[in-house]
Amino acid sequence: MAESLTSRPTLAAADAQQAHAHIDADTNTGISNTKLGMWLFLASECLLFGGLITTYLLYKHPLEGPTPHEIFDIPFTSTSSFVLLMSSLTMVLAVSAIERGEHQRMRVWIGATAALGATFIAGQIYEFTVFVREGLGFTTSRFSSAFYTLTGFHGIHVTIGIIMLVSLVLLSLRGKIPEHRAETVEIVGLYWHFVDVVWVVIFAVVYLIPS
Amino acid sequence: MTVTSHDNVPTTVLDGAVKDYSRDKVYVMTALFLAVLTIIEVFTYAAPDFPVWADELLVPVLMILMAVKFFTIVYVFMHLKFDKPILTKLFYMGLVLAVLVYIAMLSTFRIWHNGQHG
Amino acid sequence: MALTEDRPLALPSGGSDDGYTPTGVFTRPTAETGARSWFTTVDHKKIGIMYGAAAIFFLIIGGSEALLIRMQLWAPRGTLLSANLYNQVYTMHGTTMVFLVVMPIGAAFANYLIPLQIGARDVAFPRINAFSFWAFLFGGVFINSSWLLGGGADGGWFMYAPNSGVIFSPTHGIDFWNLGLIITGIASLTGAVNLIVTVLNMRAPGMTLMRMPIFTWMALVSQFLLLFAIPVLTSAQVLLMLDRGFHANFFNVSKGANPLLWEHLFWIFGHPEVYLMILPAFGLVSDILPTFARKPIFGYPFIVFSGIAIGFMGWGVWAHHMFVSGIGPISVTTFSLTTMFIAVPTGVKILNWTATMWGGKLKFSSPMLFSIGLVTMFTIGGLSGVMHSVAPMDSQQTDTYFIVAHFHYVLFGGAFFGFMGGFYFYWPKAFGYMLNESLGKANFWLMLLGFNLTFAPMHVLGLQGMSRRIYTYDPGYGFEFWNKVATIGAFTLASSVALFVVNIFYSKVKAKNLPPVGPDPWDGRTIEWMVPSPTPAYNFDPIPTVTRVDDFWYRKYGETKDGKLVRIASTAEVAQQRTDGKGIHLPSPSYWPLVLAFGLPIAAYGLIFSLWLALVGAIIVVGAIYGWVMEPPDDPDKAHDDHGPDAHASDGGDAVVADPVDAVKEVETVG
Repeated sequence: MAESLTSRPTLAAADAQQAHAHIDADTNTGISNTKLGMWLFLASECLLFGGLITTYLLYKHPLEGPTPHEIFDIPFTSTSSFVLLMSSLTMVLAVSAIERGEHQRMRVWIGATAALGATFIAGQIYEFTVFVREGLGFTTSRFSSAFYTLTGFHGIHVTIGIIMLVSLVLLSLRGKIPEHRAETVEIVGLYWHFVDVVWVVIFAVVYLIPS
Repeated sequence: MTVTSHDNVPTTVLDGAVKDYSRDKVYVMTALFLAVLTIIEVFTYAAPDFPVWADELLVPVLMILMAVKFFTIVYVFMHLKFDKPILTKLFYMGLVLAVLVYIAMLSTFRIWHNGQHG
Repeated sequence: MALTEDRPLALPSGGSDDGYTPTGVFTRPTAETGARSWFTTVDHKKIGIMYGAAAIFFLIIGGSEALLIRMQLWAPRGTLLSANLYNQVYTMHGTTMVFLVVMPIGAAFANYLIPLQIGARDVAFPRINAFSFWAFLFGGVFINSSWLLGGGADGGWFMYAPNSGVIFSPTHGIDFWNLGLIITGIASLTGAVNLIVTVLNMRAPGMTLMRMPIFTWMALVSQFLLLFAIPVLTSAQVLLMLDRGFHANFFNVSKGANPLLWEHLFWIFGHPEVYLMILPAFGLVSDILPTFARKPIFGYPFIVFSGIAIGFMGWGVWAHHMFVSGIGPISVTTFSLTTMFIAVPTGVKILNWTATMWGGKLKFSSPMLFSIGLVTMFTIGGLSGVMHSVAPMDSQQTDTYFIVAHFHYVLFGGAFFGFMGGFYFYWPKAFGYMLNESLGKANFWLMLLGFNLTFAPMHVLGLQGMSRRIYTYDPGYGFEFWNKVATIGAFTLASSVALFVVNIFYSKVKAKNLPPVGPDPWDGRTIEWMVPSPTPAYNFDPIPTVTRVDDFWYRKYGETKDGKLVRIASTAEVAQQRTDGKGIHLPSPSYWPLVLAFGLPIAAYGLIFSLWLALVGAIIVVGAIYGWVMEPPDDPDKAHDDHGPDAHASDGGDAVVADPVDAVKEVETVG
């Protein structure tokens, strides 16, 4: 095998002649680092929310205090779920707009997404205050702790998403999202859709399944 | 090197979005589909005795609806449909792992036998 | 890659790039030497070295705690430590060794070596890399600050509920433990994302996945384990935090909580954790053994796939830590079987290492000795591990010193021996001088002796029925002799670690009179040995093109028709020369990772002592994130942002990089 081995460029200097030797920004998968990183983070978040959902399933029957279906207001929660679901549509339209380079349209859709998200959060705060008034405090029962922790944790994720969306609009208004950074919008969008998807699970598992 | 004309710019940067608005129509239709599924979900609450999901079928129906919604959003809105397969693999690795591990864990608590899940 | 093709990044529209001026609160720091260069560095090599140094610092703390434990158990009815203090000492010993020593040493090697082994110039997200390190360091300091603020955690490193509740542990020790590990968890998670993206995205031309050095493979698997295991622990710790700080009911038995919830979540994290601690050491050994046997690794794909198999199967065995917790016969049987199965891929690795050495011209240098130490000691630990998969036997051994013996054989005899081998092996690459071989060999034999004196007797003690975590024992049970042996062993072990530290300084002084160590002191096989020692900031110039496994070796050696090795080029011919690195784009240093990480322990102190302080911490964190995002992507003086046509043409000359590529580069330094 010696012949074939010596025939290839073994010397370090020869590497410099190789076609790609100096393009260090290239990525092997063809996906940008940030996008790949965001997907990995989201995969990891599955296990975080999985742990909290599992805890809820284990503790959904309280020994004392109100039970889930005495207290849930399904029509109300359905509405706010619907609001969050539609925010995914506005988000994806924002991504679509920036892909075409339409900055103004993107800002409008992102603003709409943030507004829908804020509506959802307002609904959640209202829901929590009603529950507390009806006697379901955070420390009331194992169910109450698990419920508030799971939905509250999700709410924090939505809030962080809203902050990112608002920051995006502000950055965009100041011209800080030029075309070559347009992918930032898509990546924030990935986070936003993921938060929505988690709510799809929570809505079905926590609210709709009867005990 | 860089292309300046609008016409021969291939579809782009992110993942192949198009110049006109046809992708947006897909998004709107998807959202409508999701809305319909959500309405069905809520209908199971409003009419629990509807023959399709009476009694023990209720939970499976809800789980199927949930899964369809979940994967539709991930597939269309999160662009896995249009993106490189490795993203799908990585994300599903986490998702499948989470589902399997946590179901195994709940099984050790034997919660399925308490009538909680049909 | 799609983005580098000849097209603009989006349809040109209203605003063009020319008006783009990034905003930053600070200009990016530029120091390349001195303390500031370390505080602001984003260089994976400096970060790797800091990981290692911090881990050795924590090793000394954790080791001192181990010595306290052994002194307390020297004789029956020891009085050195009270029962309460003993609880704190063994808890902090375990926590420190797992989270602040073994994991960070793995991270140190992963940080230093992965970019070098795959032919990259840095990691994918250099600033996130720096953040990971600082968050780990501050988290570790935060946990240990509990000693000064009311006492350490006292629930064992696994912190079982309900003992971890406020009722049974009213001091703040467990709060420190809990919040500190959430912080180090954030560090591990961001580090994992970073390193996985690095391996998937930044390999040199020709470096396919199946040509990567084994260390990179094993580190990749262990980063995936971190990615998926850390959030499980974090979710459990959030529950514990809410229980202790805000009176939630997750582990409050009087409200119907099930303490097994913690146990499950902890071990779902905990068992992958075990594998992610050992896999980097396996990787190091898999690179060291072939070097000193002068043979390729036996069955490269088997080593790789058995590592991946360990990664997957590691998720299905957690309940073998819980055989006596009453999880029921079906669960016990299931997890018994899965635990037996996971021994298979581990056995494959042992076989491969043995076969690698078989028939080789073995050179017993210090790295080689430590690697053989790993193979043998880990095998002993692995065998006692398989014993535990047999549930009836495990039920007898649970919570005895037999378990302590077992996991020290795998974690110390396995992971730590591998790391010591790695230190000796890569020291010249990182610091430009060799560690003294005679001291190194003495170090190995002393460590091997001390290790076996300490932990082998624990098998006997365990079988005699001595419980772990008891702070003293009565005379007359036959525990006296073996406890004395173990204590002597512990001090021998400590002196071997001291000898290692001595060796570092001794060799550094001696090295002044020696010729500089070349790029390739060990006649290495993988491409990190191509670059000058110590590694220059830019790593590779030019980036090598890789054509096979052990690429560097086959640049030096060919084979005749009957399979004999022949030297075809001298090291000097194939190694890279140190260049001035001009024209190579490197990420600029930044303050923000340090500031962001600093906010985390402040917020954590706030959660324990005063929510106002937590607010301050939160403001630091949020401010740092905005500073981070708004920071100019690069040092403006280096003229990389204006996309001028000559941005790259300065010295490299041969690489004409077009606008889009440069733009992409910027996106990628966003991290």
